Amino acid sequence: MKVVVNLDLCQGHARCEDLCPEVFSTDAVEGKCVIENAEVPAEFEEKVRLAVRNCPEGALRVTKS
Amino acid sequence: MTLQFQPPPPDHVPPELIVDFDFFHIPEGVSDPAEIWHDLVRRGVPKIFYTPRNGGHWVLLDYADIVEAYRDHTVFSTYQTPIPPIEPFPVVQPQGVDPPEHNVFRRLLAPMFTPIAVRGMEKHLRERAVALLEEFSDKGECDFIADFAERYPTGTFLYLFGLPEERLDEFLDLANVFFRSTDPDERAKNIVDIYAVLEQLFREKEASPGEDIASAIVTARDKEGNQHDWTDILNCGFLLFVAGLDTVTNTMAYIWRYLATNPAARKHFRDRLDDPDAFLRAIEELMRINAVSNLYRRIQHDCEFRGVQFRQNDRVVLPNTVANRDPKVFADPQTIDLDRAVNVHVTFGVGPHRCVGSHLAKREVMVSLQEWLRRVPEFTLADDQPEHSVFGGSVMGFTGLKLTWDAAAQ
Ligand code: HEM
Ligand code: SF4
Repeated sequence: MKVVVNLDLCQGHARCEDLCPEVFSTDAVEGKCVIENAEVPAEFEEKVRLAVRNCPEGALRVTKS
Repeated sequence: MTLQFQPPPPDHVPPELIVDFDFFHIPEGVSDPAEIWHDLVRRGVPKIFYTPRNGGHWVLLDYADIVEAYRDHTVFSTYQTPIPPIEPFPVVQPQGVDPPEHNVFRRLLAPMFTPIAVRGMEKHLRERAVALLEEFSDKGECDFIADFAERYPTGTFLYLFGLPEERLDEFLDLANVFFRSTDPDERAKNIVDIYAVLEQLFREKEASPGEDIASAIVTARDKEGNQHDWTDILNCGFLLFVAGLDTVTNTMAYIWRYLATNPAARKHFRDRLDDPDAFLRAIEELMRINAVSNLYRRIQHDCEFRGVQFRQNDRVVLPNTVANRDPKVFADPQTIDLDRAVNVHVTFGVGPHRCVGSHLAKREVMVSLQEWLRRVPEFTLADDQPEHSVFGGSVMGFTGLKLTWDAAAQ
């Protein structure tokens, strides 16, 4: 599973980071979502799905890798 | 002085969209101020309606419309929005400016309030909650507002701004006049007082900067390498002072009021004292149900929105409490489900202005509730609640909330 962020939609609210800090962080300058490694480790798939569904801007999407 | 932002007379409003509704007025006998909003929905008023009260304004009731208003600043501006209309109105930073200018102060603040930054504050937040609770937890009763919910976020402001705890009462007094006074002279003097305190504070931080947020704002540089405009600095300090007080106080008041009458919910939280993810998830749900803020927007230009004619400078109110119970978005919206996993509530707004302090606010509530439940696991509403203790407006809430518990048993 892969997760991608649409930076035109992302407003940097960091709900994703709060729900799954293992995968998401927030850029200190631009204040937007950063995904270090788009390939989601199996153990975090569930948390990432939750983060995607809780993003207030609908900026996150999961894709099959 | 010519007034530029006054709403036009409502000639463009069709009679079927007019509802007489005053969101500052809570009728006698209503114990939850948010109910005046839910009552509109139950009555089936139009999802976009106009009320002539408070200078005249629109209200949006659909989640999708409210979210669109938050996102589309080209129609729904945050610049010069007060209801009733007053102008000129202080341009608070960054809330009172539209993108792209908004981004200047937004970017300055956002890194200081990320989840990681807020976790770094947790130790302090917890110590202060404990100190406050230990002043009264063995007494068996308190006025939750005066004894905790007002003092706690005011102390957080002092901490963020690098001010000593000894100044708590001074800032509490300033805040209480700001939020509660209805006397125009007292209000005018209060604003002058707050700005005088901020002026002195920022001058001190400019001369000897510390690790605090006030220092970060005053020492920040713009694209040209200059200090930001001094008025903007003061207006940012002002917003940080007022944005995190009344909102946190009344969110806490709603949550404690709910827990006082719900043994199962108290137990739910007590059982999760050592599971922060689950604890926070439950707080998120109580924040959905208890959204205290109603936000204002001003229409930028004549336009049609969902078939309704808006005129330039029309005012619009966005009641988050209504959006958060929209059945088109939330399964079983009236039910409080403390395990609700997907919760796209708009208690903190959405779009570019969404609350910068949301992670801090949640952590303040979480830490306070954890420490409270460790000391006062069981509590109820006192029989003698103060009279006339609810208010409406841009933030809704309570001026008093008496709680009691068996101090000997705990
Ligand atoms: C439960 C408590 C809180 C609630 C319900 C709340 C709610 C909101 C809402 C709805 C907005 C959006 C305003 C708009 O769209 O016009 C907002 C913005 C803001 N809030 Fe909060 N807030 C809370 C706590 C805090 C705290 C603790 C701080 C302190 C740091 C804070 C600072 C701000 C700031 C600076 C903005 C303006 C952001 C911008 O315009 O970009 N808030 N808040
Ligand atoms: S939750 Fe959504 S808007 Fe917020 S930082 Fe993550 S991707 Fe961006």
